[in-house]
Amino acid sequence: MILEAKNVSYFYKAQKDKLILENVNYGFEPGKMYALLGPSGSGKTTLLSLLAGLDIPTKGEILYDGNPITARDLTEHRKHHISLVFQSYNLIDYLTVVENVKLGGQKTPEPILDKMGIGKEFWKRNVLQLSGGQQQRVAIARALASDANVLLADEPTGNLDEATAWDVIDLLKRIAHEEGKCVIVVTHSKELAGSVDIAIRMDQLGK
Amino acid sequence: MNSLQRALRSVIRKPIKSILLLLVMITVCLFLLCGMACRNANVQTQDTTRQAIGAGLRLDANEKNRSKRLTECSQKIGEGQEGSYGGVHQEKLETAYGTQWLVWCDNSFDCLQISDIEKLAVVPGISDYNISTCITAVNPVGFDRIEDPDMDQTNDMGGVVLIGNRKMELDSNVLSGNVTLKDGRMVTEKDQDVCVISEQLADQDHLVVGDKIGFNDYHDPEHSQVHEATIIGIYQTEQLMSPLMAGDTFRSENIIFTDLRFPEKAEGSKNNPCYEHAYFQVGDVDDYDAVKAAVSTADIEWERYDLIDRNGNMSTMSSNFNDLEKISTLLILITFAAGFIMLFLIFVFWTKNRNYEIGILLSLGYKKRNVLGQLFAEAFITALLAFVISFTLAPAASSVAADYLVSAQAEQAELEKNINADKVTYSTVQSEQTVVGVEVDITKEMFLICGAGMVILTAVSIGTAGIGILKKNPKDILSELV
Ligand SMILES: Nc1ncnc2c1ncn2[C@@H]1O[C@H](COP(=O)(O)OP(=O)(O)O)[C@@H](O)[C@H]1O
Ligand SMILES: [Mg+2]
Repeated sequence: MILEAKNVSYFYKAQKDKLILENVNYGFEPGKMYALLGPSGSGKTTLLSLLAGLDIPTKGEILYDGNPITARDLTEHRKHHISLVFQSYNLIDYLTVVENVKLGGQKTPEPILDKMGIGKEFWKRNVLQLSGGQQQRVAIARALASDANVLLADEPTGNLDEATAWDVIDLLKRIAHEEGKCVIVVTHSKELAGSVDIAIRMDQLGK
Repeated sequence: MNSLQRALRSVIRKPIKSILLLLVMITVCLFLLCGMACRNANVQTQDTTRQAIGAGLRLDANEKNRSKRLTECSQKIGEGQEGSYGGVHQEKLETAYGTQWLVWCDNSFDCLQISDIEKLAVVPGISDYNISTCITAVNPVGFDRIEDPDMDQTNDMGGVVLIGNRKMELDSNVLSGNVTLKDGRMVTEKDQDVCVISEQLADQDHLVVGDKIGFNDYHDPEHSQVHEATIIGIYQTEQLMSPLMAGDTFRSENIIFTDLRFPEKAEGSKNNPCYEHAYFQVGDVDDYDAVKAAVSTADIEWERYDLIDRNGNMSTMSSNFNDLEKISTLLILITFAAGFIMLFLIFVFWTKNRNYEIGILLSLGYKKRNVLGQLFAEAFITALLAFVISFTLAPAASSVAADYLVSAQAEQAELEKNINADKVTYSTVQSEQTVVGVEVDITKEMFLICGAGMVILTAVSIGTAGIGILKKNPKDILSELV
């Protein structure tokens, strides 16, 4: 088990009476692709942020390789253990494609971009000159530039048309299966969720 | 990629967002530099009542600075307190009309600083120098002064006046050619207890070179000690010298030139001289401007003085020129305060606008201080640019500002003088000053201070604006994006 939620409960400080997550227990394994499925407002993004170390649970803890992520600086967890892909707002607009990928980690950007299907002619371009699907693939390339073993994606296909969406999902699946990473994708599309290794329904996670 | 590299790309590739910041920073820089330049400006005035003659420079006390020091000293003594401080004395007088306060200054308050004079005397190019004392009223002993028989003498002190000189041939009356020798010689720095009297006085009292005459304190002519001086010369005047005050004591014929230290003894304040003018002779007239420049950069307390050149042009430190210093200081302070508010608002706007970028970097595992460091770096790059631009504009801008401020101040002073014309009487004639120019100089120190000021201002305002980021956790920042 690489990443594990242990007895995790969470409420927002603004709404203390409303438990978003209640006693969530779940372990994620490497080499597999997971989908977190549930209607809007069911706490998918919240759970993903806790797994990513963007926030800390009100109760319980997140373990990475069996150790609580709070044992060390959370930025260490974000930098070395996980990488994140969002629905939008992914890239920094004053940096080129290559520079954006470099932000993600130490690995050389060009081969990763190649693998993501971003041709050489785009590398020096400003990211705003790319299509939505291309931008999302650059974001995934950036996630792969780090040595992290977990890839967390929050509705990565939400802004894409269907064909492109399937491309991205296939890409993520390949990353899980070929590179042995643990990929966790948030989605509210049952169709997409059906194609992954393990689909988790939010209402089954406790609460 | 480190924060500096990101900052450079952000500034270069998205310059529009930095333009407002740049403009504000240039404005702040320029205002700071102008303020500082005006504080240290040299206001050149033409003094119509004082005339400097010959290839020399005259050092006089500055009137504005004198009244400023007077106020400071009486504050030190305390309001409603009797006492003395720095040569200023405050005394309570119980009179039939009630309590009255008497404030008077002794010689030590008005005396030019001898250490300053000596510093200027050794400036290269100064060949000789003279010091003249204040016109000192004393009581004549053993001779009669010249009196107007038609004049009512009840209000006069019945004295004569002494002018002590280190070197009489450099006295302004002699330099102007008005006073010349009729007999004997003039006073030199080696003389002690000597005097030079007018031909009228010599005629009336049958005095000749070699005779001795005496003087003592006119406040107590019966008892105070008499000091004798030997007559070494007799002078004549082209025109009568204009008296300092009304009354026969001050009339031209009763003016007696003595050695430098004699007047203080005669008036009963030995070792407490009152040096009023210092005159520095320029050896080679062709070097006049260079010597003048060297003198005016000498390390003395310039605020206390006016330097008057051979054309009667006076250089006065701006701090003594009406309220110029106060206004400039105010300008600097306002610039700082307004600059802080504007920069703070710009940075708040900045960080708000760049939330998404901050969120992405935080989610990628960048530390908050790294992200904040980028914003700092961007601000400092812009500040540096603003600084360079202001540098090139500063000399022109500051001289425009100084000209404006000085002329506004001069107008204001004129206005006040007219308003107060019938309310205030002056004991001595006030000098009439017309502004002929302003000299502003932007020095290296000003650039340094301005640079430091900008760095502090930027750091403080961006730091304050950045607190918002430091307080939030990354999830909050990211959830603000959706
Ligand atoms: N920053 C926040 N402050 C307060 N409540 C929040 C915040 N973010 C989300 N919520 C609430 O938490 C619940 C779960 O939100 P979220 O995790 O974003 O759901 P999902 O991603 O499944 O749509 C929602 O009811 C939402 O209103
Ligand atoms: Mg969500």
